[in-house]
Amino acid sequence: MGNITMGKYRIFLFTVPALLVLGTFFLYPIGLSLRMSFTDFTGVGIANDVGWKNYERIFTRSRYLDALGVTLLFTLIVVTVQTAIGLFFAALLHRLPAVRNLCRAALFLPAMMSFVIVGYVWQFIYSPFDGGLNSLFAAIGLTSWQHNWIGDPDTALYALAFAHVWMFIGYSTAIFLAGYAAIPQELDEAARLEGTSGWQRFRHIEVPLLASSFTINIVLSTIGTLKTFELPFIMTRGGPDGATRTLSLHIIDSLFGKYRFGFASALSIIMLILVVAVTLLQNRVLRAREERVR
Amino acid sequence: MHRSPMHRVVRTAAVTLLATTGVAQAVTLEVTAWKGNDAEPAALPELIERFEAANPDITIDFSYISRSDTDIVLPPRLQGGDAPDVMMADMPLVNIWGNAGLLAPLDKGDWYERLDPAVKAAITGGDEVYIMPLEVIGMGNFVNMGLLREAGVEQAPRTIEELKGTCTALAEAGVNPMIFAGGFSAPLFTIANGLEPDPAAAAELGAEQRTFEDDEAFIAALSLFPELAEAGCFDPEVQAGVDPWSTALAEFKAGNFAMMPQGAWNIRDFSSVDGLDFVFAPIPSANGTGVALDLFGVGWVISSQSENAEAASTFVDFFTDEENLQALLEAESAYSPFVGGASGMAALAAPYDEARAAGASIQFPFGVLHWPKPLESEIFDSLTGYLLDLDQEPGEVLSRWDEIIEDQY
Repeated sequence: MGNITMGKYRIFLFTVPALLVLGTFFLYPIGLSLRMSFTDFTGVGIANDVGWKNYERIFTRSRYLDALGVTLLFTLIVVTVQTAIGLFFAALLHRLPAVRNLCRAALFLPAMMSFVIVGYVWQFIYSPFDGGLNSLFAAIGLTSWQHNWIGDPDTALYALAFAHVWMFIGYSTAIFLAGYAAIPQELDEAARLEGTSGWQRFRHIEVPLLASSFTINIVLSTIGTLKTFELPFIMTRGGPDGATRTLSLHIIDSLFGKYRFGFASALSIIMLILVVAVTLLQNRVLRAREERVR
Repeated sequence: MHRSPMHRVVRTAAVTLLATTGVAQAVTLEVTAWKGNDAEPAALPELIERFEAANPDITIDFSYISRSDTDIVLPPRLQGGDAPDVMMADMPLVNIWGNAGLLAPLDKGDWYERLDPAVKAAITGGDEVYIMPLEVIGMGNFVNMGLLREAGVEQAPRTIEELKGTCTALAEAGVNPMIFAGGFSAPLFTIANGLEPDPAAAAELGAEQRTFEDDEAFIAALSLFPELAEAGCFDPEVQAGVDPWSTALAEFKAGNFAMMPQGAWNIRDFSSVDGLDFVFAPIPSANGTGVALDLFGVGWVISSQSENAEAASTFVDFFTDEENLQALLEAESAYSPFVGGASGMAALAAPYDEARAAGASIQFPFGVLHWPKPLESEIFDSLTGYLLDLDQEPGEVLSRWDEIIEDQY
């Protein structure tokens, strides 16, 4: 009996290394950030307790709530568009096996470039003075379409979202292509014998059977986009007038421009709660959808 | 072989002396700065070479760390007791590192007495001084004289009325008059005009003793934006989104715009452009001279943890010598921080020099810690927002600045 009990608990010993890594590199820093969020730490020296002051400032200053709105809108745009275009390319490449690998590599190429390069390239494309996009419109006679793309608060976030989607579309396509590979070919053949159209097969067979690919795509891109700061940092520095200032950018600015480590920690804790809440909710909804399909 | 106790004592003393002398002869000093690379050499490579020749017992291990990376790289090293011996710093950094006890107090030698009073006041907090200032650099109006002459204007504008007249003439000649980016140029113009009537107000505004929202000079400065836009100086909505650190500089260098408020550190780069006929002038303002906006930018600080404090002091002292400093000032197009000190400004900056000589210089409030660093980005943001919607009330825009000041207390 004693041996059985020991054996039952012994298996938990195998989780100790993983728990140690998790505790040291994930839970401890989060605990430290939580502790720091109640101080006025400047990055060096002594941290003084300030109670809930940092949190009070976050919730009483509209600029932080605006940043939360910008972050959520940016995420919504990127996740929706990236998933839709990724699915489009995957459906297309699934039907074009001859060029599938070549196109998959081409779509992946932007993701292999550094954010800095992508940011500067798109900044020059969007430049109001002889930028690539405006020059293109001028060349084809559409001068009325010329615009200050990242200088106008109404278009800046969309312009950044487009660059972000361009960069990561290869990932979404690859995940959907993996999903396509798991769809039994007999189903497709049976549907064809029944005389279904391509659209009907896509709508009623492929989309439902790609449910797990949707889950992975949406969850991964949501987490990645909620945390994003690179392109807004490089292309607009959060401007014009905060139109592209995400929560992450506020955190970076507070840390390394304003030396407000305590305040930045409070913002980080709020962002952590946001990311966890959104991800849990998404997971719940998407898993339930997967179950329904099965 | 038997050795006497006296022999052993003498031998130990000799070894100790030799070892001590050996260490003193081979000091390697770690120095970091955000100047000294190819893009912004500031004559540091030559000066370090000259220093090593004059001090053969000290070797300099120099590392370039950009200003933004300085915020990331150095605090953990300072906190961890592994800081470089000598570091380039500005006043926001001195304020934080000095208050945390991470900087060594400098000897207030002859150099301290020679400092310009404004700079001396800025670096003196309490009894100790932690930074040896290297330069005061101008922020003014770059003016492409070639383009002005095309429009029949012979002189860089110094007053608001001259500025409006120049803009109108340029616009009529088909020349883009002015870069007025919300992220830097517009703030320089606003700060210069807002502080011109009473430069001492900067300290009171930053200490919550007065509010920007009710400050008539700043309200008047913002009220100039619609007037300048109407005079054809700029399209406010376009300027709101111009990146002052890439697009704006590239456009001025390309000769696509006639004027641009910016810093004198660009003079060297602009001078390398063939055919770019420009001058560096004061920022146009209500008085007749314009405003020379002086930035006390950088200096040397010594880590309190440095094991080579004496060698570090020798290095810092080297830059208090006017002859040595001159090379840096010329490379930077900057002014000496010392009273009666040399100027490294090029001849094309004569209009700016004249404004300074006429007493029209104002210290940039962030460089002397009158205003907190977080206010800087809020000014950039709020003025960008104002350019996008010039119907906003100036007081409403300025209230955002007061909110940031309030957050500091």
